[in-house]
This record gives sequence, structure tokens and C-alpha cells, in this order.
Amino acid sequence: MSRHVRPEKWADAFAGRLGDKLVAEMDGHAESCPRCAKQRDRIRRSSSTFPSLRAEAAPELSWDTIRARVHWSVSSEKRSRERVSRRGVGPRSPASAGFAPPWLIAASLVATGGVIAAALLTSPIAPPRPPSTAPVAVKDHAPIPVTLVAPVPAPLVGLVSRLAGQVMIDGVRRADVFERTLPAGTVIATGEGRVDVQFGADSAFSLAPRSTLELRRFDAERVELAVEGTVDLTVAPRAPGQRFFVIAGDQTVEVRGTQFRVTHDTAGTQVACRHGRVVVSDAAGTAVVATARKLAVGARTQVDPTRVAPLSAAELDQLAEATPATMPLWTDAATLVQTSAALEIATVGKSAVRVDGVELGEAPLRVRVMPGRHTVETADTAGRFRRSGWVDVTAAKPARMVVQTEAAPTGGTAERRRQLHAAIDHVRLANCTRAITKAGLSSFVHIEISIDETGAVDFLNIIDTDLASSTASCVREVLADVQFRRGPAATFRDKIDL
Amino acid sequence: MLATVKRDTGSAAALGPADEADLIERCRADDRAAQDELYHRFRRQVAGNLYRVLGDRTDLDDLVQEVFVIAFRGLDRFRGDARLSTWLYRICVNVALGRIRTRRRRPAAIGVADLDSASVDPSLTERPETPERSLQRRQDQERVHRALETLAPKKRIVLYLHEIEGLDLKEIAYLVDSNPVTVRTRLFYARREFYKVLAGETLSGDEGGDS
Repeated sequence: MSRHVRPEKWADAFAGRLGDKLVAEMDGHAESCPRCAKQRDRIRRSSSTFPSLRAEAAPELSWDTIRARVHWSVSSEKRSRERVSRRGVGPRSPASAGFAPPWLIAASLVATGGVIAAALLTSPIAPPRPPSTAPVAVKDHAPIPVTLVAPVPAPLVGLVSRLAGQVMIDGVRRADVFERTLPAGTVIATGEGRVDVQFGADSAFSLAPRSTLELRRFDAERVELAVEGTVDLTVAPRAPGQRFFVIAGDQTVEVRGTQFRVTHDTAGTQVACRHGRVVVSDAAGTAVVATARKLAVGARTQVDPTRVAPLSAAELDQLAEATPATMPLWTDAATLVQTSAALEIATVGKSAVRVDGVELGEAPLRVRVMPGRHTVETADTAGRFRRSGWVDVTAAKPARMVVQTEAAPTGGTAERRRQLHAAIDHVRLANCTRAITKAGLSSFVHIEISIDETGAVDFLNIIDTDLASSTASCVREVLADVQFRRGPAATFRDKIDL
Repeated sequence: MLATVKRDTGSAAALGPADEADLIERCRADDRAAQDELYHRFRRQVAGNLYRVLGDRTDLDDLVQEVFVIAFRGLDRFRGDARLSTWLYRICVNVALGRIRTRRRRPAAIGVADLDSASVDPSLTERPETPERSLQRRQDQERVHRALETLAPKKRIVLYLHEIEGLDLKEIAYLVDSNPVTVRTRLFYARREFYKVLAGETLSGDEGGDS
């Protein structure tokens, strides 16, 4: 073969689409032609990546958010279609929209005129009838009895969205609180824990420790919650005709759409409103508690509108922290029981946690999540949130994640940290990271290490890094080979930049 | 007979024809649980298809959303002459094509953090990759994507489906809503341009002789 080989022919050869004889001829040519040999090598290298390109898996995405957006988009479109069809305005054809061709308009006018003329000519002219004012009785027909039945309002049910500690449902301490729905008549009682129950999009309550709440009436028309203790509520704006009451002893709190807290105990009733407006009433009077206001009604006193006072910044913060947990996408409780799952985050001590960036309060706790991968972060002793890992959740299957708490700092940390940094074999470390250094990149490892009095390393863990796992292992080996002298025992975390 | 492309759609999406028909019917009846099921079964496949065709994850969330919105909207028109996964793949191809047309350039930088995120079928690598080898592989992949980007959108899609996904002309014709002859012509020119770039020749460079 004397002529150059086209680049795509090399690709055909590597894909096995050419005969052996032709491939041999092409190789023979490449032996004597540096240009073709170079092209062959380049195409071989690139073609060898095709299987890995084909095998590349999708990166993790915010699946729940995407799902919510898809459903929102599809359902809004559907709602808009339904609205149009309810108004009786179907999709208009160009003709009905005023774009009828002139010949059609002319024909219609002629036809209409003809029909009117024919009617005038054929029908006898009747004298004008006096206007009828009296109803005309129809004697031949018996009156049809009509019984009016009031429509039954759709019942509401609640779903536990977050639980910390123990809770009793209808007097029984249940383990399956995430797998059941809470209908009207349910009584929820907390011990030292807190439970959040969602009952609609952006509507939920959070029952504080040592409190009891009864879902006295729970339907689309009227919600009545009777509370002993403290309950924080967030309520989406009510539709016309819907009423929402919290009954606290002799006082009744009515809301339209707001976030507020009601506490009722032996000292009386306190109502604090974070935003929106609530109306507190009893036999004596009514008081409006607006945004960032509170009202305290003593045990033996009655509602007095003049006692409404502003909330302090600290009180507002408390209300904000007690916001009930809600699912990002609420459909209906029965479906959500099947399509969501409880995620338990277990910690040794109490530790603030975030799931997917949303702060949920102090773990251990259980929270309702949608299926998918969820990132869990926990706060360290300084209150900084650090990533603890992720957990895959499947619909209707409880998931659990045990979070390793940060080791308590011990004495001698500074000395051991100095020893560590002084004794790292930087030449070996550079070998581990040569590839990324050549690429002009830098990285880090975040380690946790424990050293005893004899200088032996009890454990060494890489708790965070952006290195590839093989490089991280190499770095770990270098760090594990550091020799410590006798000295104070120390357990600490450190970040080593590479 | 339900047509299907050779691409492995993953075990999560595996669904018998009867179950698939049932799922589609329930989705058409606005059954929210069925729509969720469809989404959960095919979300990774859809994201993977888009990710591989486009070569990066910029706005991947939006594109996955677009695919599913189009799918739910068009489910009434789905005739069942292909598998649901193939039909979704077709939507992915169209969405990706639209994306390629509107996008100027993909970001060139590849971070080391990407090494782990780009998971590879373990059967393809006999031993764990060294960082150098992994970086080399990413650079080679990057070169392939750069070469793909020099092609016109339609050529790029058919070349990707043929050379990388390994689909035949008939399958590609279904996915790009064209006929096999057109696809063959498009592929012929696409391959010439693509491999010329990969080989390091410029498009206006010396043509050389044929073998």
C-alpha cells in the first residue's frame, strides 16, 4: 500500500470491521509512514475510551427536586387545561377565533336573512302578549320532593414527617408511626420527644415535648386541634369556607394562613405569631395577634386585646427553629406513605443534623424523605456542619444512618499535631499526588487520628478528601508510617493540604 | 412486537411488556403513583443517556426534567411500537440535540474530583486504576468529546450513537426520526470529520490518499 490511510479506516480496523489482509496492509504502510503511524496511535488511544464512555453512569442529581418540578409542570398544564374546559372555552379554531374566510361570512349572512324572511312570510302575525307576572301553576304534575343533603367534607389525614424521641398515638407507643396515617379523633402525646405531622402542602404542626394534641375535627371544611402543652403550627392560607381552630382550654385560636405557637398549661394560654394573623377569643372577648406579636392569657383571666405585645428577636428565633418539617412535595397522605420512607439518623450524643442541606434539629431523630440518595451533615462541637455521608433510601422501607460523632479533643493535641507534620515523608507524599500536581491541581485530606502514650497510632481515618480513592489510600499509607515518640495521648482531626 | 435498542437500560428499568403497558395506561389515567414509578424506574437511564451524549453535567437536572415533562405530556401519543425505554431514549436524543444547538462550548476543565464521580463498569478494568491511568483516560475521553463538538449537531448525534453506543443504522434512524439512508450519509461525513480531528489533522488539511 503506497497511499496514506484515512483516519476513519483505522477506526474501522480497531472495531474489527475490516478484513485481516487489509489491516495487515495498513499496518505495513504505517511502518514506513510516520504520519500514518502517529494517526493510528492517536485513534487507537481515543477508540479505546469508547467502552468507558459508553459505561459512564449518570452522576447523582437532585432526583426529588427534578421529580417535583416535573410533576409541577405537568400538573399545572393539566390544571390550566381543566380551567379552560370548565369555562367552556375549548381550543379555538381559526374560524371561530374570527378568522373566517370572507366567502363563509357572506354565505352565513345570506342564509340567515333567508331564514328570517321565510319565517315572516309563513307564520301568522300574533298580537303582542302582555308581560306575564304571575307564576304559572302546572296542575298535571305532582311536586317532586327534593331532599337537600349537605356534602360531606373530605376528611384530612396527617403524616408524621419528623420524630425525635418517643411518641404515643392513641395511648399506645408505636414503632410504625411513619407507616400510618393520622385521621380525625387521633390523640398524639409526646414524652421528652417532639413530633411533626404534616396534613397538607405547607400545613403541619410540631408537638413539643410533654404535650398532648387531639385531632378533634379534621376535614377539608374545618380543623379543630385541642392542645395541652405547646404546639407550633404552620398553616397554608385557607380556602374560603375552610376554618382552622386551635382550642386551648377556654380560649380558641382561629387562623387563616400563618405560622404561630400556642401553649396551654396550668399558667394559662400563650399565643405567639411569627407571621400572618391569628384571632384569639373566649367568652369575654377577642384579640388579634398579628405578625411578631404575642398574647398571654392567665389561668383565671380572659382575653384582653390590650395585652398583645411584640415578640423579642430571641422569641422570633425560637419560633423559626420550631418550624414543623414539611415534605417538599405533598400529594396525598395515602400515596406518600407508599412513596416515601423514614430515615433514621442515629448519633451517639445529641447533635444537630442537616439532611440535603435542610436543618432538622438535634439527632437522634427520624425524618420522612422521598426515595433517593440523601446527604447527611452533622454539627461538630463548634457548631460547624460537616458532611457525615449519604444514604440511599427506597420507598416504603425505613433507612438508618449511624453518624460517627467527632472524637472528643484530648490533651497534647498541639504537640502530637506538630510531631505529625514534622514527620510526614513529603517525598513519598509527592509521589502519591504526582499525577494531580502535574495537572496543576491541588487537593487535601481531612484525617482523624488517635495516638496513645507510647506513640502508637490507635486509628487513622481519612474522613474527607476530594482525591480519587487509590490516591487517598496512598496518602493514608504515608501518614500511617509516621513514627511518634512517647508523649501525651491525643485524638484529633487535621487537614493536610497536598 | 416492541422494538428496542441494544443499549442496556439497567436492571432498575427492566420491565416486562405487559407490566410496561400497564404502567403506561396508569400514567395516561393520571395515576400519580404510576408516574412516580415511571420516573423512578427510568430517571437514571435518562440522566445517563443525556450525560453521555452531551459529555458533561451542566444543566443536567433541567434536561432530565425536560425529558420527563415531554414524556408525560406525550404519553397519549405513544403507540407502543417501541419499548418505553427506547422511546425515552429517543426523547433524550432530541433534547440533547436541542441542547447542542443552543450551547456554544462545553467547559473544558476536568477537575480531579471528577475522577471518582465518573464511575466506570468494573468489568472494563482488570485492576484498580492508578491515578495516572485514570487521569490519562479522562484526558482521552476529553479529547473524544472535543472532537465530537467540532461536528454539526445532527452529525454529532449519529456519530455518537454509532461509534460509541454501537447502534446500527436502523436503530439510529428511529432515534433521530430519520431514515437509514439519510443516517448512513450523515454518518459517512461525520466519521470522516471526527476521525480527522482525532488523528490530529485539521479539517482543511491535506486529504491524503485513500487506502
